[in-house]
Amino acid sequence: MSQSAVVLLDDVRCPTGGPMSLQVKHLEISLGERVAIVGPNGAGKSTLLRLLSGFVRPVAGQVLVLGRSLAAPLSAQGIRALRCEIGQIMQDLHPVERLTVLENVLIGCLGRTRGWRGWTRCYPPGEVEAAETALRAVGLLRRAGTRTDALSGGERQKVAFARMLMQRPRLILADEPTAALDPVAAREVCQLLVEASAGATLVSVVHNPGLLPLLANRVIGMKNGSIDFDLPMVEVNRHGLDAFYSRAEAPVPVTGAKQRSLRTAIPLEGV
Amino acid sequence: MWHRASRVFVGRLGFLTLAVVYASLVIGCLATFVAEGELSLGRRPLENLVRTAGEFAHPSFLDVWFGNTRLEYRSDDGTVLRVENRREVESNYLLGLASATWTTFRIATLGSLLGALLALPLGVLTARNLAAPSFLRLPAKGVLDIARAVHTLVFGLVLVGIVGLGPTAGILAIAFHSMGTYGKLFAESIEALDMAAIEAVRSVGASPAQVFFNAVWPAALPQFVASHLYIWEFNIRDSTILGVIGAGGLGLLITEATSLFQWGRLSTVLIVVVLLVSSFDALSRRIRKALS
Repeated sequence: MSQSAVVLLDDVRCPTGGPMSLQVKHLEISLGERVAIVGPNGAGKSTLLRLLSGFVRPVAGQVLVLGRSLAAPLSAQGIRALRCEIGQIMQDLHPVERLTVLENVLIGCLGRTRGWRGWTRCYPPGEVEAAETALRAVGLLRRAGTRTDALSGGERQKVAFARMLMQRPRLILADEPTAALDPVAAREVCQLLVEASAGATLVSVVHNPGLLPLLANRVIGMKNGSIDFDLPMVEVNRHGLDAFYSRAEAPVPVTGAKQRSLRTAIPLEGV
Repeated sequence: MWHRASRVFVGRLGFLTLAVVYASLVIGCLATFVAEGELSLGRRPLENLVRTAGEFAHPSFLDVWFGNTRLEYRSDDGTVLRVENRREVESNYLLGLASATWTTFRIATLGSLLGALLALPLGVLTARNLAAPSFLRLPAKGVLDIARAVHTLVFGLVLVGIVGLGPTAGILAIAFHSMGTYGKLFAESIEALDMAAIEAVRSVGASPAQVFFNAVWPAALPQFVASHLYIWEFNIRDSTILGVIGAGGLGLLITEATSLFQWGRLSTVLIVVVLLVSSFDALSRRIRKALS
């Protein structure tokens, strides 16, 4: 194991929502890498991301993320410390609708905010400035005082994005970050993701092959719960990808079953 | 094909069965009352209706301005027994009415607040999405169900026996009954929260208290306030009747008026009740709208 490994998986087996389980012999992701995971629906991509964020635990094998072992259950404090350092862009992580855009972005700094300030939403001026900078980066500074339920879907995505920037994570996990966006906005968001991941590590699940060169310098193809190929971006071409998708047979329909498994897998702590 | 057809058929058959059961239930209720000879309108319904309506149409408060200043009560042989100034009597009655209204309002307000405070922890415990341990959730649900099932008046009668006559019994009766409704509404508004937003706040490493204050509280607050206003308003209506059992307030005047067949005074009291309830309703609707 090299010193700079941000993610290290060895002989991992982990159940997914579907009938087959995720099996990874060996996977190492180093600091500063930008990894894109591709593959058909039901290949285990989202499960892999949730494994890395500590939402699901493997039944066997070793998972090391940011120097923490996730194979054994972490303490509540350990989970929080880990989550502080992992920025997540997921379809099922919404902004809080009744808070303003700025307040939603400031949620990103809760992990490093202690005491009454985190309860009363009276953040230190430095953090407010940082939140405004994050909003400027996604082009929403103008709407900082707007309540989030007045925003469009794309704008909400950007709020989630600014919240992630605010978090200053060491590892960014993005599950189809462009799914809700039109092509122009999608490129914009990818550009932002790459900028945000400077000095951090980016792992994203991508469906649009056109965005791969923008987002990744390494591509992992997944099929039936295991890694099919793991190549540097320069060695991946369009034809190879098309062939990969046509070879892969989606074993299970996703939709309902997948959503449910996402819900039940999330542990409820405290509230 | 056959499968689908049978499913449609069974679905409709099920509804038809329900409809038949309901219809026979209604017919059964009616038929037994008729068989017992209990469904009658009394001896002279029309006459009684006209007389009562006539007295209702002349609410007593009008006498404050238009009443006879020298109403003479005479015995059968014509001697004057007593002279009464109707205007004075009725304006005194209005003063008493105002004070009773204030009492009713106070009972409703304090009872509602107490009920809401008692219900808050129980509501949080019974909200299904917060998944409280069942040794806490089930007793909490039991308490709320019992509180909802027992009528305010029943609570009131029991409490009058314990804490004595007066507003304390009324406040507690209102609190105990509405606690059940509050708990149910609170739990429902927590269950309706966007869990994905709560997960998002959790996903940045926030502590449970931070999650509560940043995701649960701001999202549920308008619902809580709306429920509170709604039940408060309901309790103002409810507490007007509590005087009947000796808890003070407007209900006392209602019992007095009905037992003396003073329909004019009852009319005055009911006008005040309607004004009180509908003005509070308008106010609370405005507040709820502003909060959403």
